[in-house]
Amino acid sequence: MATEKDLLVSRIFCRAVLPVIKVMIEDDPKTRAKFANTRAVVQFVAKDHDGDVGAYLDFDNGAFTVGQGVAARADIAFRFPTVAKMNAMFAGKPVLPRIQGMWKVGLLMKVMGLLMGLKILMPNAKPKTPLQARLKVKMTLYMVSTALSQLNKGGYPDMVEWTAKQPERVYQWSVDGEDIACYLRVKAGKSQAGRGLYTRRKPIVHMKFSSIDNALPVLTNQVDTLQAMKTGLVTNDGSPEYGAQLGDLMLKVAQLVT
Amino acid sequence: MSSGGVTWNVYDADKLSQREIYGLVLCELGEKYPSIVGLSADLAQSTKIGAFGEKFPDRFFNFGIAEQNMMGVGAGLAKAGLIPFISTFSAFASMRACEFLRTDICYQNLNCKIIATHGGTSFGPAGTTHHATEDLSIVRALANLTVIVPADALETANAVRACMDIDGPVYIRIGRGFEPRVYESEDYGFEIGKAVEMHPGDDVTVIATGVTVLHAVQAAKILKEDDKLGVRVLNVHTIKPIDREAIIKAVLDTRRIVTFEDHNVIGGLGTTVADVIAESGKGCAFQKVGLPDEYTIIGYPEDILHYNKVDTDGIIEKVREIMGRDFEADENWEDEV
Repeated sequence: MATEKDLLVSRIFCRAVLPVIKVMIEDDPKTRAKFANTRAVVQFVAKDHDGDVGAYLDFDNGAFTVGQGVAARADIAFRFPTVAKMNAMFAGKPVLPRIQGMWKVGLLMKVMGLLMGLKILMPNAKPKTPLQARLKVKMTLYMVSTALSQLNKGGYPDMVEWTAKQPERVYQWSVDGEDIACYLRVKAGKSQAGRGLYTRRKPIVHMKFSSIDNALPVLTNQVDTLQAMKTGLVTNDGSPEYGAQLGDLMLKVAQLVT
Repeated sequence: MSSGGVTWNVYDADKLSQREIYGLVLCELGEKYPSIVGLSADLAQSTKIGAFGEKFPDRFFNFGIAEQNMMGVGAGLAKAGLIPFISTFSAFASMRACEFLRTDICYQNLNCKIIATHGGTSFGPAGTTHHATEDLSIVRALANLTVIVPADALETANAVRACMDIDGPVYIRIGRGFEPRVYESEDYGFEIGKAVEMHPGDDVTVIATGVTVLHAVQAAKILKEDDKLGVRVLNVHTIKPIDREAIIKAVLDTRRIVTFEDHNVIGGLGTTVADVIAESGKGCAFQKVGLPDEYTIIGYPEDILHYNKVDTDGIIEKVREIMGRDFEADENWEDEV
């Protein structure tokens, strides 16, 4: 039976990590071309005492969505005996799932390529090209903003306590000069992640990275936030106290998914 | 921006708080006016006047924890023809050293500039002893004193420069730093005693000062979108002399006035605006939004303001409330617009 932590981590993977595959499909020309004419559903599912846990990738001729739970039909299904093993595979650890639909070799190879691409999210993964660097920054920020919201929705005590007492507030991340921006909106225990710059109200904290290159050492924990601010890699506009708390919660996301 | 803080531009302002900006502008003015001297009461680092002290060590004086003495010496230096910039926390400038500010400086109409940092509840966790929620009430009653509350770092720069044009005492109330920017640049026509219209509207006017200006602008945008309300926002950065003309015009145009300040509702911006309206004889619905007449909770400034409904959500609630309120039209048939 999966522990509460296993379920929380799987929630992060299914609802925050898998959705950033969309960034690869939209922003990486080679990946986009690979999936331009693909129509398929790929399922990840783990057995649990209270029912199956998982999510599925839905490719529709270049469009991409992530569905939660078990799809009505799947072209390929990765089946895991436990939630913990599914989490381990998403975290990049060696796990052998049972794969249904292996005979669809072309699709399987393409999907494995995508899953390998997710490894760029690992803190120690060093991008080799400018495109990879951009993907890493964009995917990481998108993943973290959604993961924070999912931690709240999944009942992670620190996050629940953090959002419970806040009025409507927006925490924004962006990279100067790039089409990379996302936010976390909270209000009295509720939370919602979004993409782009939130315009309805000024963020209580706006973490602005001055460039992709400057964001990388911060997001890969090569420099701590204080040092990053001192050296101008990142500007934290807004409440310093809530900025620090946000930084702590971001670190907790990293600890959960690695 | 040079390390000495002599030159800087608006692009640097992203990184600069009101206090940082004050320190930098003072250095810039120090180059231009050799008669400027800096005075601190053991808070050079906290109030950022230390930047001036590093640049002009012979023109900088630290009095230790002796604010009254600092005010008295400042008066003496002004009598000798110098222009003292006296920096300390708002709570200390307006209360601990009040008699010296009044009798030594204001009574003699001396050319001293009081830079009062950590105004309102901006010193949050430091507690009630360091909150300045009565300072505007106190200092606006001091004759000869000009009182300015900038909305952000860029307006602080404008205020510090503009106060040099006044041959008399000026009290500039700024925050702890980290106040978000309201303006995009310094070039919006800052003038002491002249309010700035931050958002157009003819249904209701929100008159704000200091850190509440940003909240008022955000509320106006939300109310426009959600309630289809035209909310005029006036940034009354100068509490004394107040812009009577802009206030009366707002009364005549909108007939509903809400004042909005990080200060006790007694004696600050709201009371000043109420005085203007009462003296004018014009009728309107009127609501003061600020800190209640009690010592507030202690916490982060954002939380204190939210708790007391002195933030975007609070002003939205008050504007909706006042829109439902009736008011009696006056009998002055000449005030049509």
